[in-house]
Amino acid sequence: MTRRSRRLLSFLTCLLLPALLLSACAPAASGPGGASGDLDANQEYRANIDGDPPSLDPNASAWDPSIAVISLVFKGLLRFKDDLTLDAAVAKEVPTISNGGISADGKTYTIKLRNDVKWSDGKVVTAKDFEYSVKRLLDPKLAAAYASFYYGIAGAEAYNSALGTKSAPKSPDAATMASLRDAVGVKAVDDTTLKFTLADPSSSFPSLLALHPVVPVRQDVIEAKGDTWASDPASYVGNGPYKMTEYVSKDHITLVPNDNYFGNKPKLKKITLFMVENITANYAAFQNGERDISRVPPASVPQVMQDPNLKEQVVRVPRLATFAMQFNNKIAPFDNPKVRQAFSMAFDRQTYIDKVRNGVGRPAVSWIPPGMPGYQADLGKQWDFNPSKAKQLIADAGYPDGKGLPPISFQYANAGANPQTAQYAQAQFKDNLGVDIKLEPMEAAEFTKLVGSKKYQVAMAGWTADYPDPDNWLPETFGSNGGSNYTQYSNPKLDDLMKKAAVEQDPKKRLDLWAEAQKMVVEDLPMVFLFNDERFVLVKSYVKGLKTTAIDTQALTGNHFMDQVYLLKH
Amino acid sequence: MASYFIRRILWIIPLLLVVSLITFGLMHLVPGGPWDREKALAPAVVDNLNRKYNLDRPLWEQYGLFVWNASHGDLGISYSSQDKNVAEIIMRGFPITATLGLVALAFALIVGLGLGLVSALRQNSWLDYLSLFFATVGASTPNFVVAMVMIIVFSVGLHLLKTGGWGSPDQVIMPAIALGLTPAAFLARITRASVLETLSQDYIRTARAKGLSERLVLTRHIVKNALIPIVTVLGPMAAYLVTGSFIIENVFSIPGIGRIFVQGIGGRDYALIMGAVLFYALIVALANLAVDLIYGVLDPRIRYS
Repeated sequence: MTRRSRRLLSFLTCLLLPALLLSACAPAASGPGGASGDLDANQEYRANIDGDPPSLDPNASAWDPSIAVISLVFKGLLRFKDDLTLDAAVAKEVPTISNGGISADGKTYTIKLRNDVKWSDGKVVTAKDFEYSVKRLLDPKLAAAYASFYYGIAGAEAYNSALGTKSAPKSPDAATMASLRDAVGVKAVDDTTLKFTLADPSSSFPSLLALHPVVPVRQDVIEAKGDTWASDPASYVGNGPYKMTEYVSKDHITLVPNDNYFGNKPKLKKITLFMVENITANYAAFQNGERDISRVPPASVPQVMQDPNLKEQVVRVPRLATFAMQFNNKIAPFDNPKVRQAFSMAFDRQTYIDKVRNGVGRPAVSWIPPGMPGYQADLGKQWDFNPSKAKQLIADAGYPDGKGLPPISFQYANAGANPQTAQYAQAQFKDNLGVDIKLEPMEAAEFTKLVGSKKYQVAMAGWTADYPDPDNWLPETFGSNGGSNYTQYSNPKLDDLMKKAAVEQDPKKRLDLWAEAQKMVVEDLPMVFLFNDERFVLVKSYVKGLKTTAIDTQALTGNHFMDQVYLLKH
Repeated sequence: MASYFIRRILWIIPLLLVVSLITFGLMHLVPGGPWDREKALAPAVVDNLNRKYNLDRPLWEQYGLFVWNASHGDLGISYSSQDKNVAEIIMRGFPITATLGLVALAFALIVGLGLGLVSALRQNSWLDYLSLFFATVGASTPNFVVAMVMIIVFSVGLHLLKTGGWGSPDQVIMPAIALGLTPAAFLARITRASVLETLSQDYIRTARAKGLSERLVLTRHIVKNALIPIVTVLGPMAAYLVTGSFIIENVFSIPGIGRIFVQGIGGRDYALIMGAVLFYALIVALANLAVDLIYGVLDPRIRYS
């Protein structure tokens, strides 16, 4: 919500910025003699998380700024290393079949916890804290957005849907609710042993244990304080490297190291997270020395790349995000695969990246992005830019030179860089295919509604990883019953293949199955894949130890390894 | 006069009811809901969310609940701020937005009235043309352009001021100017026109003929009479300034209520939209009442019963 209006405004201010900034280039932005080897005395890190987080409650949160803060204040059973493989956090080790963490049939997880993990108030973190957290996540009264991610746990879906639907409401009594809650397959066997029981084996379940909705939370604190426990620093008790000392709504959050943290003691003494929604204003703050890190408004990228001082401070991190044009596969003319293929081959992706995105991002011809297991570098090349072949394909489809096509509307949310992308696409299809498409910018929520109702013809689409597993990328979008399948693409062979891959325990076999699945999708081409996004931030040269991963939050770069950051004298 | 005041205050209640009904209807007519996401939420999750916020009840029941709760001061919980209730969001943000608005209003009044008065008294001089130029530029420059230019010059360029935020007095300067510039320009033009109109009145000629000093003519006759059309404009202008500007609060990252209306609509945050609209309606009603009362002070011909 805030993002949409924010993006609209960013787009407006981005039109202005190049001319204005050019006249005010401040060479003082990167001070003299940055990296001198001495530690800064204050060790205060100032960053921006793009807005006021809607909630800081780990079980109830879904938005990116929330996840950024939660990842500093809490640590879960597992976490991701920078190569996106799993590592143990509060758990003693990553559960596998060989170490007994996962049963042979893949349905039971027995996880041993460390016994030296403490909350910021000194109490010890136990398996009960995890059990409570998972059950709270699934409580229908909490209405958590991420609850459905954990429906793989036995009894989870039954508990979460216990109150029924609008047309068929249910009112179970307290005893029934209690028994449904007890039936959820998560149990604290003792203080340091946690057991999960799954309905079906799922090879991506360990990844889910590294996400924010299932970090441990304090039952006693939450029951005493109620649902506002997360916005009051006094009750926002966590087990992560930092603890929150100040939360001024719409202004900033202050964090200091958690003295009881079980891991590496953070070197930073204070983190201030601002809530500036306007990316251009935040970039100005960075140039004024009010921030230590900042995203760069797209329009300023060329200027940054040409400035020798600023160029040194650039950090580029791939994001696990792919953007595409999705077609309604059930409406003419996009029900014809040749037409979809022609459109794919009529779009010059490299020029789009170079000219429209100022070099930020990478062309994509498949769905799973680089940096993730399951990425296939050579997949989809047959649909890459090739104007002569595109013309031939559209003629083969029965529309030589694009004549005879029904009117085509391209719908998109009128925010961010979408208008430019749409205009570029329109020009490409005109030049390379002779096809006229009509652009229809829409208000963001209205656009989402239209796509959801599957009444569109061709629309922008994008997907960002919730966790780095093909399980998160293919079934939702391309499965016949996928919740986010707006193309109405349906391939029963693919559905079977994806079902098999989801339960396959052997990692190599699993990746092979997913590779085959993605190949099927790319061959059928229900969408035209365009590009992968990339993070483009400026970091002051005195900031050291910043470790970025492809799974970082958009709001805060390097959030998973903030305990390693330190500042030199500046 | 007192009974007039009380009557006006009481009229606000049916006004707010009508506004709330219209807003509620329009809100639910607009396509899209608060839980629509590009990555669709699971149906059971949507059901839970709708139940949590009473969105699964029939519309008339939802409206009734809203009116009942609102009359007890409970405006509901904002969907985009899951543990903060709407009344709290407004009460926390309004003082900030109002402060900014009042400073901007003061700026607009001083600059606008001053320029307008001077250009009317020195009609067709270089001062008059300068103020015309200022008024045209001020009225046509979008305030976010002014805001960005000031940030670039005073923060990024000269490092004199912080780029945004709220808390210290120097953080009011740039947003107040950006917010108050266009109103200042309007006020300058209106003041000029009104003063010129007053100057041409017979009683001014009489006052001068009587031998009154120019200063007395100004303070005793011109200002009071010229103010009436200005005050008419001031009511809505004050209401607009005091309820905040989305753009200014966005660019300067000010934790006020200027953004809640636009953000509420974008996110289909029904509770926030209703709360914001009702609050604005209340402010506008009060501002108009204040304007009407000030008329009574300025113009003795106007008397309320």
